[in-house]
Amino acid sequence: MTILTQLKEQITAQLPKLDMVIGWEQGYDALHATPLFMRAAEDVERLQIGPLSVHNTATYLTGLRNKKVGLVVKGCDSRAVVQLQQEGLIDRENVVVFGFPCDGVADLTKVRRLIGDVGRVEEVETTPTELRLRVDGREEQVAMSDVMADKCRRCQYPNALVHDHFAGKPREPHATSDDYTDVQEFESQSLETRFEHWKSEMSRCIRCYACRNACPMCVCRDHCIAQSRDPHWVTQDDMVREKWMFQVIHAMHLAGRCVECGECQRACPVDIPILALKRKMNKEIKEVFNYDAGVDPQAIPPLLSFQVEEENINERGW
Amino acid sequence: MKIGVFVCHCGSNIGGTVDAARVAEASREFPDVVFTSDTMYACSEPGQDGIIQAIKDNQLDGVVVSSCTPRMHEPTFRRTVERAGLNRFMFEMANIREHVSWIGKDKEANTNKAIELTGIAVEKLRRDQPLFAKQFDINKRVLVIGGGVAGIQAALDCADGDREVVLVERESTIGGKMAKLDKTFPTVDCSSCILGPKMVDVAQHPKIQLYAMAEVEEIGGYVGNYEVKIRRKAPYVNWDLCTGCGLCMEKCPSKKSTDRFNEQVGSTTAINIPFPQAIPKKAVIDPKFCIKLTKGKCGICAKICPTKAIVFDQREEIISESVGAIVAATGYDLFDISKYGEYGGGRLPDVITGLQYERLLSASGPTGGHVKRPSDGKEPKTIVFVQCVGSRDKSVDRPYCSGFCCMYTAKQAILTKDHIPDSSSYVFYMDIRSPGKMYDEFTRRAMEEYGTQYVRGRVSMIYPQGDKLMVRGADTLMGTQVEVEADLVVLAAGAEAAVGAPQLAEKLRISYDKYGFFMESHPKLRPVETNTAGVYLAGSCQGPKDIPASVAQGSAAAAKVLALFAKDKLENDPMISLVDMKRCVGCGKCVRVCPFGAIKEIDVRGEPKAEVIETVCQGCGLCTATCPQGAIQLSHFTDNQILAEVNALCQL
Repeated sequence: MTILTQLKEQITAQLPKLDMVIGWEQGYDALHATPLFMRAAEDVERLQIGPLSVHNTATYLTGLRNKKVGLVVKGCDSRAVVQLQQEGLIDRENVVVFGFPCDGVADLTKVRRLIGDVGRVEEVETTPTELRLRVDGREEQVAMSDVMADKCRRCQYPNALVHDHFAGKPREPHATSDDYTDVQEFESQSLETRFEHWKSEMSRCIRCYACRNACPMCVCRDHCIAQSRDPHWVTQDDMVREKWMFQVIHAMHLAGRCVECGECQRACPVDIPILALKRKMNKEIKEVFNYDAGVDPQAIPPLLSFQVEEENINERGW
Repeated sequence: MKIGVFVCHCGSNIGGTVDAARVAEASREFPDVVFTSDTMYACSEPGQDGIIQAIKDNQLDGVVVSSCTPRMHEPTFRRTVERAGLNRFMFEMANIREHVSWIGKDKEANTNKAIELTGIAVEKLRRDQPLFAKQFDINKRVLVIGGGVAGIQAALDCADGDREVVLVERESTIGGKMAKLDKTFPTVDCSSCILGPKMVDVAQHPKIQLYAMAEVEEIGGYVGNYEVKIRRKAPYVNWDLCTGCGLCMEKCPSKKSTDRFNEQVGSTTAINIPFPQAIPKKAVIDPKFCIKLTKGKCGICAKICPTKAIVFDQREEIISESVGAIVAATGYDLFDISKYGEYGGGRLPDVITGLQYERLLSASGPTGGHVKRPSDGKEPKTIVFVQCVGSRDKSVDRPYCSGFCCMYTAKQAILTKDHIPDSSSYVFYMDIRSPGKMYDEFTRRAMEEYGTQYVRGRVSMIYPQGDKLMVRGADTLMGTQVEVEADLVVLAAGAEAAVGAPQLAEKLRISYDKYGFFMESHPKLRPVETNTAGVYLAGSCQGPKDIPASVAQGSAAAAKVLALFAKDKLENDPMISLVDMKRCVGCGKCVRVCPFGAIKEIDVRGEPKAEVIETVCQGCGLCTATCPQGAIQLSHFTDNQILAEVNALCQL
C-alpha cells in the first residue's frame, strides 16, 4: 500500500468526525498544486502529496478556530501547528494531524528558472530524483537536487513533529543541524552591499501582502499594522522605506516564532528573498536562547515570557 | 485644540545656554499652539499662576512646559493645570535642562534642540486624552522584611501607630547584626542592653505577628493589596511548646555545629538557642549536624525536653499574608575577607573580621567576654586593626565607603584596652571618617586616651611567624615601611548587600544598584521610598549605615507607611494598559509576559480575550511591546502618541 493510499484511508476514516481535512490537489495545471479542503469522502480521492505539495496547510488553522479540522502536514507544516499550539492560537483538541514522511518539495521558482516560463504543464511525473514534465507534447526533465527548496536541504524535521495519524514510515532527516551559513555569508558582505541589496529587492515589492497572508504565524489579519491607520506605523506611500518597514515589522513579529516554512518567500509573486530576514532573527534567537520555534509543544517561546534573569543575557554582572 | 507653551529659564540653569524667549517665539509656529511665553521660574508660585491665568484667558485645552526633568516637576505642573480646570494628563513636559542646557554650551544649537523637544511635546499633547484614576480599597497591614534594628524600629513604630505588622526574619531570632555587637559607639553602651528592650517589645506587641526562621517566597499584588507568601523553615521544634529553657543544648552530643550567631568563632550544639536574649527564645535544630536527622539515632533532646517540643519530622510551611505596604529592612552582610589572599583571612585562624572580634569581646560570646585568639586561646597582647578591607577598593569591586568601620575600629581599640590593659593596638587606616555627633571626639579618645597607634597606610601582607603574625605595611605619613608583630589581626570587613538581596528586590519589583543595595526613589528627597508604590526601605539594605541612621530610617519608613494608611482609598495611576477588544486575538501572550499578573483572560461571546486589571497594572508596557496586533495600548504612551513624537523629531 502506498503512503498516499494509507493516508487516504486514514482521512476517510476520520472525516465523519471532522468539519474538513486540508491537504493538496492538482491546481490549474499539473505542476501547480493547490490546497484541497476535503469535506466529503469523494473529495479525498483528489488528494495528492509529494514534491509539489508546497503549501503550508497550517496557515488556515487560525481562521478555522471553532471548527474541527484535519490537517495533512509535512514536517515544516507540523512545526507551525506546534508553534500555534504553544502560543494558544489554536485548540489542539480541535485539530487532527495526518503526518507522512516528506522527501522535500520543489521550489517552483527554481523550476521556472531552469526550464523557463513554459505555460501550462500537462503532466508531471515525480520520481525520488527527478521531475518529468510534459509541456506542449515535449518532455522536460529536471533533477530534484536542482529544484529542491532550500528549506528542505537543511530540514531536520521531515516527519510531522505532532501527529494523530501517520502514513508510511518516518524517514531520516535531510540535515542534522542548521548552522545558518546562508545568513553568515550574507552578513559577511559590507553594510553598503547589504543595504543596496535590500533597497533593490524591496523596490520590486508590489505590497500585495501575499507573504503575510501565506504566513501561518501572521494572525492579526484585519488589524495588521501594515494597513492600520491607528496606529499608523506604515503609510501608503509607494516607497522602499514603507515596504521595507513592513518586512522588518514582519520579521520582528516572527522572531523566535518563525518555523521557516518559507511560505512568505514562496508566495511572493516577485520572488523577493524575504525568508532571509526571518532566518536572521531565528539565528539570533538560537544564539541567545538556544530555541527552535515549533519543535516542542510544551516549550515557552523565549520572547513570549518574562524572566528576570536570562541565562545568556548578562545584564547586571551577577 | 488650543495649546499653550511655557518655556522656563530656570534662572541661568536653562537661560544661560538656551535662548528661552526664542524657543517660546518659535513654538508659536507649531500646530494648535495659540499662546507661548517664557518665564523665569515656571515652578514658582508666580510662574504657576501665570500658567493658570493663560489657560483661563485663552481657553487652553492643554499645556506644554519646557523646563527641567519631569521626575521633579511633572507632578507640580499636573496639579497646576488641574487647578486651572484641565485634566492633569492634558499636560506635557519637554526637558530642556538635563537634556539640553546642562549638556551643551553652544547656545545656538541648544536653542534649536530646545525648540525641537518642545515641538515633540506639542505633537504628543495634540494626541493626549484626559485620563481618570480609579479608586480602590487599601489593606492597612504592613509587612516588614528583616528583624534587624531598622526592621524592629519600623515594626514598632507602625504597630504603635495602631497598624497590624507582619515581621519576617530569616534567622531564628530577631536582632540582626546589632545583636551580635558587644558595645556601640560613641557611647560604649552595651548593644544587647539597648536593643533587648526593643526586641522584647516586638515579642509582646499585640499588633506584631513575628515569623522568625522565615523568608518571603513570593509577592503578588500592588500597593494597598499585596499578597505575600512566606516560607517558614522547619526548626524541628514545636515553638508553641518550647519554653527556651535550654536543657536540650546542655545535653546535645553534636557539639561541632556551625555557630552562625557567633560568626563561626568556635562551634555550638546542633540544637541551639543563639543567645540568651534571643526573641523568640526558641530552640532550633540544625539538620546538617543533628545526629538524629543525619544518622537516625540519638534523640536525646526529645527525651530530655520537659515540654516534649521536639518534632523531628517537622516540615517547612508556606503562610499567606495580605498586606498593604512593605518595608524592606534586610540589612547587610560582610565582605568576604578571604578575597584578600595577602591578608590570610580564612586561612590564618588569628586573622578575623571585626564582627568576629565583637563576639570575642561580648560577655555572651563563645569566650565569655575574655579576648582569646582563635588559634590557641591565648590572650593577645598586640592587636592590629586593618581598616577598609573590602571598602574603597576598586580592585575588589567595592569602591564605596562602608561608613561605620572607622568608628567600630576605634571602639574595638578602646574595648581592647579595657579588656587587656597591658595590650597595645595598631590601626592601619586610609582616612578617618567620623562625621556624626560625638564621633570624631570618640576616635580622638581612642588615639589620645587609650594610646591606640594609628598608622596611615595600607597593609601589604600578613604572614605567620612562629605563633605570631607579621603585619607588613606602609606608613605614608612617615614615608616608611612598618612591620608589626601581632598576636591577633582584626580586619574591618566592609559591608555589602545582604545575601539574596537582589533576588528579594526582584520579588519586590524594586531596583537595586550594581552592588545589590536597594535603590531609593531619590537619593536626597525620597530616601526611604522606592519607585514601587507601597514598598519602603529601612537601614543598610539601601546602603551601609550605622545604628542611628538605621533606626532613623526605620522610623522614617514607618512614617511613610502610616501616611499611606491614613487614606481609606487609594487611586491608581491611569497610565495603564488597555485592551482593544476587536483587535485582540486572545493568544494570551500579554498574560504570559506581564510581571505583575495584571492581565487575565476573559470570555467574550465564546472568544478568548485579554483584560487588564486596572488597579494591578503598573504601566510598564511589556504587554504593549509584546502584543503583535497592537491590541494593548499603554494609556498616555500609545503607539500613535509615540509615533507622533518620532515623526515630529524626524520632520522638523
